[in-house]
Amino acid sequence: MAGKKESTFINMVLVLFIVTLVASAALGGLYELTKEPIAAAKLAKKLKAIKEVVPEFDNNPSEEMYSVEMPTGDLLEFYPAKKGGELVGTAVKTFTTNGFSGYIWIMVGFKPDGTINNYSVLEHKETPGLGTKMEPWFKTTDPTKAKCSILGKNPGTANLTVSKDGGEVDAITAATISSRAFLEAVQTAYNEYNKKMEGGTK
Amino acid sequence: MNTKVLVAPSPHVHSGDSIQKNMYGVVFAMLPALLFSFFYFGLGALVVTLTAVASCYLFEFLIQKYILKTEVTINDGSALITGILLAFNVPSNLPIWIIMIGALVAIGIGKMTFGGLGNNVFNPALVGRVFLLISFPVQMTSWPVSIGLTSGYIDVETGATPLAIIKEGLKSGTPLSELTSQIPSNMDMFLGNMGGSMGEIAGAALVLGLIYMLIRKIITWHIPVAVIGSVAILTGILHMVDPEAYAGPVFHILTGGLLLGAIFMATDYVTSPMSNKGMIIYGVGIGVLTVVIRVFGAYPEGVSFAILIMNAFVPLINVYVKPKRFGEKRK
Amino acid sequence: MTNKENFLKGFFKENAVFTLLLGMCPALGVTSSAINGLGMGLATTFVLIMSNIVISLVSSQIPDKVKIPSFIVIIASFVTMVDLVMAGYAPALHEQLGVFIPLIVVNCLVLGRAEAFASKNKLVPSIIDGASMGLGFSMALTMLGAVREFFGAGKMFGITLFSENYGMLIFVLAPGAFIALGYLIAFINKLRKA
Repeated sequence: MAGKKESTFINMVLVLFIVTLVASAALGGLYELTKEPIAAAKLAKKLKAIKEVVPEFDNNPSEEMYSVEMPTGDLLEFYPAKKGGELVGTAVKTFTTNGFSGYIWIMVGFKPDGTINNYSVLEHKETPGLGTKMEPWFKTTDPTKAKCSILGKNPGTANLTVSKDGGEVDAITAATISSRAFLEAVQTAYNEYNKKMEGGTK
Repeated sequence: MNTKVLVAPSPHVHSGDSIQKNMYGVVFAMLPALLFSFFYFGLGALVVTLTAVASCYLFEFLIQKYILKTEVTINDGSALITGILLAFNVPSNLPIWIIMIGALVAIGIGKMTFGGLGNNVFNPALVGRVFLLISFPVQMTSWPVSIGLTSGYIDVETGATPLAIIKEGLKSGTPLSELTSQIPSNMDMFLGNMGGSMGEIAGAALVLGLIYMLIRKIITWHIPVAVIGSVAILTGILHMVDPEAYAGPVFHILTGGLLLGAIFMATDYVTSPMSNKGMIIYGVGIGVLTVVIRVFGAYPEGVSFAILIMNAFVPLINVYVKPKRFGEKRK
Repeated sequence: MTNKENFLKGFFKENAVFTLLLGMCPALGVTSSAINGLGMGLATTFVLIMSNIVISLVSSQIPDKVKIPSFIVIIASFVTMVDLVMAGYAPALHEQLGVFIPLIVVNCLVLGRAEAFASKNKLVPSIIDGASMGLGFSMALTMLGAVREFFGAGKMFGITLFSENYGMLIFVLAPGAFIALGYLIAFINKLRKA
């Protein structure tokens, strides 16, 4: 091609410099532009998960968030939901490392008396079709499967382990390990939540 | 008269072996285990076996006739073996439509895609089985508990296999000595008194089949011995290192279809190496992989995956370990 | 080659996935549903068109020895833009596609078109080439995603066609991607011969 630049040292340095300069300038600009929408999207996602698991509230739970560090170095996050200044529930972002394929993160909501209001699964790597069923499984409203649901139960008084281990919850068919891990995460959340409530810090 | 003079290359003395003869020999060897599963799981076993065999024949016929448009060779008996092996590898309460999908995958993907009998890289029955295991994990891992001949087909009580009990127990931190009470005794497992797929439970019947095939020279001893031996040695070592965390060799050999795999599936002519040395390498590979998957993997059972993985290595083994040519002098 | 031929080649004759077997990583990785395949395809199309435009304009000014590094920087910039914009305005899809969006950078298809076409051709054919290749890629990914979604979950574009209980999970998982791709390629080859 005519007018092709020679591969001299100066040319190469110059061209690469210009290319990277333009690219980084463009990206820097775009980053500034999209910073806010990205933060908003992340917040919206978190709020949505919180809204799903606790009764209606009018405060901003992320602002009042507090956390507890677990032995694994991960944080349990507590989001108090208040209406008219009064606590109506707490969403706890909890986890377990004992899933079929490692970590499972769930958001579980407790009413002030410690009963489970609702939960939602945030992140996991469980087997599709087996462990993935935990999202609908433990909150089923089907009366024939009453033993599967953990909603409205209090982990402090009810034995929330799978029936195979002598508990009160029916495990997901063929996914006992995932079920066990899920219930463990709920229990962890409750234990820490209970400590906080009894300690009177909140 | 229309007499043809045939000129064939040597050897001119034929042993009388043919694909058909060997195939039906294998089927005969499978009979004890098959009858045992009927006796043990009742009606369900019969329904599953018939469906599997019939669908294998049907799909082989349809694919050869209408898609490949080649000669139809369903009478060579290989579809019968695939059908029975597929049935052996599934629970006896598996819904009919799932079995049919398994047969379609076994024959269609496992065999015909590669060009039919003789060209398939992987054991067709195992391709079907693994496809089903990954696709329908719930149905494929609820094993019926036997109540004898009168067992129904769909509404049967289900339970876990001994391997799954051990795997789950160990994973949740229970020491092995506490789990042994939950699993059947070694004698029970040898005689078939445990939960499992149709063909894997009856150790004794499978060994009977092995002896028959060895006497009839349908297979040689190399593959079964290499598979079972390597599993025994490896699990033996692990068990000695930490008896609380690893089950012993007898348990590993009698459970999870290791005998079924070693005797009937690893020895498939098409998908195993040709030379004796190659067969030993192949068998040891299966044994080692089985133990690795069972002990360290996510699935409680690893025989079928191990055999499929080693199937893929067979061409390579055949290149490096060639059988001695007839008349060739040893160096 | 006329513009029309140039545009049509990406769909069938030189389809990135079915014929050239380029971009296999996203083709197998993200196509667990039709909508994922489409989203990934369109993101790649955008990057392809934009990088083809820029490269066809500036390639005469770039010395041969630094051609590849320069192209990669240009491509990576556009990929990062897609990544940022998606994270901000389509967070759900962004989460689904995950690491595969940044990985468009190393998609052989994009660098391949930059090197093989855009650097040697003028602006307009390069745009058409990018659009053709990108849309062909999107079509292939959507087809693959649709097949896997249909067999795996009983859905098509998220609309349930039959109960999920009858779906074959393997098609949602990795092995199903290989099986579906293999049979799709076989099918397309059969069509080509006929």
